[in-house]
Parts: sequence; structure tokens; C-alpha cells
Amino acid sequence: MKRSHTAACLAMLLTQTVIADAPKEHLVNQKAKQFTVTALNAKVGDTVTFKNEDDVSHNIFSLSDAQTFDLGTYGAGQARSLKLESPGAIEVECAVHPNMKMQITVSQ
Amino acid sequence: MKFFNQTLKSGVAGLGLAALALIGTARAEEFRTTEDASVVRGSIVFKTYCILCHGANGEGDGRASKIHDPKPANLTLSFLSDAQKEIIIRKGGASVGRSAVMPAWGEHLTSEQITDVVAYLRKINRQP
Repeated sequence: MKRSHTAACLAMLLTQTVIADAPKEHLVNQKAKQFTVTALNAKVGDTVTFKNEDDVSHNIFSLSDAQTFDLGTYGAGQARSLKLESPGAIEVECAVHPNMKMQITVSQ
Repeated sequence: MKFFNQTLKSGVAGLGLAALALIGTARAEEFRTTEDASVVRGSIVFKTYCILCHGANGEGDGRASKIHDPKPANLTLSFLSDAQKEIIIRKGGASVGRSAVMPAWGEHLTSEQITDVVAYLRKINRQP
């Protein structure tokens, strides 16, 4: 009885650990020509989805050393996703709206 | 009599200032419609929206140019006509079979702003 209880506890602990380390999906909206989230903490392997909730096109790009990318320009109602590949600070910008900026801090 | 003279002088001065203001307004309105004014406005639009890829001098070396292939156009060496430039600015690069990275600015800029940017591009073009 005691042995099976210990095994169950170990299994639960393992499951919790796996869930805690599972990649997460983060949602950032683009609304009123601003990012709805200006600072985001995430981990390597997580995904960030940027959804355009405006009626004009938006773009997503970054020139940061941690991760450089251009997800392109996309219209109203569309979304683009980014998988975080390495730790560091990523400044995300919109090429169409120079005032739109947000930062993702990626940890290991 | 002294009071009358002072009032007259003030009135004349006031009329003079009003006339100068009117002339100034007329000249400002006249300037607004010139090519020079269009270039000035266009340079402001360019430095707000285009500089990121095309660079401060329009040579295609903006800070975002490093992530684009093909590289942004060197606008100082462009051989396109004003009408072709306007189409690309308004409808994006993909509309003419060029880079899809160049956005369609027609939904973001007014027609006057696009005309002004074309005027600015005309100004910085070094093609003979």
C-alpha cells in the first residue's frame, strides 16, 4: 500500500514537472495601432501569436540579437506566430507603424 | 487732439499688421502648393515610414535591410517613372511582381502623402 502510494506521488510529480516545462502559447493582439502587451516573459520553445485586431495591415519583425525575424505584413483578422528559439531580449516592432513596439524576455 | 493722433497711429499700425498677416497667409498658401513644399512634406513621410528599410538617404541600407532578401531598393538610382513608383507605394511590391516585403501603403497614407513621397524621391534621384 505504502509502495503504491509512493509510486502515485512520483507519477504526479513527474506529470506536474512535464506540464510546467511544456511549451506555452502566448497571445498578443494588435489593436488601435498598439500591442496589447508591451512586455512579455516567456521561455525558449514557447510560441507567441500576434493577432491583428485592427482594420489596417500590420507587420511583425525584430532585429534583436537574440532572434532576428520578419513575419511579414498581414491584414485585418489575420495572425502570425513566432517560436522563441533562444534566450535574451527581443524587441518586436511593426514596420508599418513605427510607434508600435513591445519586448519579449526569453529565458532558458 | 493728442488722443486723436494716438488713436489714428494705433489704427494705422493695426491695419498694417493685418495686411502683413494677410500677405503672409497668402504666401504660405502659395508655398504649400509648390514642388518644394511637396518635397519637404514627402521627406517627413519618408523619414517616418520608409527609412526603416530604404535608409536615411534612400540608398536601401536601412536598419531592417539586413533581414530582407532581395534588399530594399536603392531609391537614388531608381529608373522607374513617378507613376510606377506611385503604384508600388500604393499597392505594394507584390502588385508589380517585386518583393512582397514592401507593404501596400495605400491604406496607411493619404493620396497627398504618396504624391509628396514621390516628389521627395524625384528630388533624391541621381539617375541622369
